[in-house]
Amino acid sequence: MDFFLQLLANGLVTGAFYALSALGLTLVFGLMRVVNFAHGELYVIGGLLGWALTAVLGWNYFLALVVVVVALGILGYLIDQVLISRVRRQGEEPTILLTIGLSIFIANTALLIVGTTPVTVASPFASKPLILGPVVITQARLVLVVICAALIAAANLLIQKTTLGRAMRATFQDPMAAQLVGIRTSHIYGFTFALGATLAGAAGMLLGSIYVVEASSGGIISLKAFVVVILGGMGSFAGAIAGGLILGLTEALWGGYVSTGYVDAIGFGLVILTLLVRPYGLFSRRAERA
Amino acid sequence: MSFERNFLLAAVALAALTPLVAHNEYSLHIGIMIMFSVMLATSFNLIVGYVGEFPLGHTAFFGIGAYSAALFAVRLGTPIYFTVPLAGIVAAISGLAIGAITLRLRGPFFVIVTLCFAEVLRLVANNWIDLTNGPMGLSGIAKPALIVGATGVEQKLWFYYAGLALAAASLVVCYRFVYSNIGRAAVAVRENRFVAQSIGIWPFWLGLVTFVLAAAISGLAGGFYAHYISYVGPEVFGFSFTITMIIMVLAGGKGTLAGPVVGAVIVVFLEEYLRDFKELRFSIFGLIVIAVVIFVPRGLMGFVGRRHETYQRKTAGHEGDKENKQERLQPTLEPAGFNQRGAADA
Repeated sequence: MDFFLQLLANGLVTGAFYALSALGLTLVFGLMRVVNFAHGELYVIGGLLGWALTAVLGWNYFLALVVVVVALGILGYLIDQVLISRVRRQGEEPTILLTIGLSIFIANTALLIVGTTPVTVASPFASKPLILGPVVITQARLVLVVICAALIAAANLLIQKTTLGRAMRATFQDPMAAQLVGIRTSHIYGFTFALGATLAGAAGMLLGSIYVVEASSGGIISLKAFVVVILGGMGSFAGAIAGGLILGLTEALWGGYVSTGYVDAIGFGLVILTLLVRPYGLFSRRAERA
Repeated sequence: MSFERNFLLAAVALAALTPLVAHNEYSLHIGIMIMFSVMLATSFNLIVGYVGEFPLGHTAFFGIGAYSAALFAVRLGTPIYFTVPLAGIVAAISGLAIGAITLRLRGPFFVIVTLCFAEVLRLVANNWIDLTNGPMGLSGIAKPALIVGATGVEQKLWFYYAGLALAAASLVVCYRFVYSNIGRAAVAVRENRFVAQSIGIWPFWLGLVTFVLAAAISGLAGGFYAHYISYVGPEVFGFSFTITMIIMVLAGGKGTLAGPVVGAVIVVFLEEYLRDFKELRFSIFGLIVIAVVIFVPRGLMGFVGRRHETYQRKTAGHEGDKENKQERLQPTLEPAGFNQRGAADA
């Protein structure tokens, strides 16, 4: 039983982290409908930048986090306005190719600059273990789960309650109508992508203090993020949380009880099953078919 | 149609004569890689260009073909003349199974679900050690008995002509397929799904037939690859093979048969020339992909084809009869994949 509780705790924590790393993609893929295969690379850029600022230059962690957020925001805005805007409304295929090209470029350039060694972001949170009954968890992870929840809540508030969020939703529902009521849709696209990039970069830096950051790990992060978004349903933050938790829990339980070899295959199996049985995601309210 | 046929015939003839000039191991190796790439690109193009979906996990069938040829050859000692066709058959059967599941989905969901299949297969190849030997892979896949003991150049020459025969056969099958009623129906579905359905075409069935054919060609390429390299590891299911296929089809022009052939030749040579840049070459590769998407979205053959059309219409226009003028007013058929997400593709 204790073993089960520990697995449950591990699964929930990993699940929260999955949700965090998929948050940017929920916006960009779920809402904006850009199949962004460079998502993982944006995450990696955030992690590497965080490492360079904290571990190499010795900056304060939170100052570095602000810099990462701003830098990724600018980068995301530029990527959207310079590259993605050229293939907007041409179906998803050119976008997929464009982001794949971008991810090849970013990953290999990062490899050239940083090399293949995994690095870690220097973090102020203690890695001291916290013992809660039968469950052991480190402080740093607990703090991150809280930050993660706060970020998700903030992003959700932004989309649901603010004028900007309403403009974003209007733009992605019907760009023409949004333009007619005076929304500058091109800025909205740029801003949404920037926000997605920011969330990806912040996730990279936050999780880079617990796990390692590798220049070449972007591909697998993109894939897992797609798994989370599809499991949860397109464009809903609650869905992203649920998707992350389901993935984290299943992987932890499978790894604990069945075998560790196929843990990575679980997510993909789940996606294949989900798309077959409920093609609009597990928790999507809109009956939108794939 | 006739332009495409003449182009392909000329390409095959040129390829058959090339070893007379380039009679050394290195050039023949590049030639073999081109043959192998032509098969992969042609297979990928069948789905991208004629079904209009984007199979990001297409390397699954290449890997299945490579592994089944390797397993037959290593475990059972089957000679190459049987393993390569068997690889095609096994890949076609798995294409039927995977296609029946994935073709229910469209757009980004199809993309991701096919990618999931390739990833699952890669993990299986990595973990099912009893069958696949895990990350170590299967090595020592026999070369055909005919060329054992021959010199390096002779061996390469054999593989070159075997590859040429397989590639030419795949192209003939694809040509017959694309210009058959099934191929035309597939183009109709690609251009406008609902109109096609309204005249009695069943998109899912057409997609499945094309998918199985594409899987079989990929499987043949995989079997050929396994015997040529004589080693197969889990990386045959890796993303890099899919990326190479995508770039070949994209650069050459999808939805044409000549495009992937041109693309395969370009990409193989480009990879060789970029070797001088060492690690930088992958970054350059990424930039080239971005540039192609933005500046030549229809690929090289799409570009050439359009020039050819305008030229033909111009010369026809000079003769000045009214019929031709009327023809000029009609919009030309948009090339593959430009079916925008509008009313036609809700």
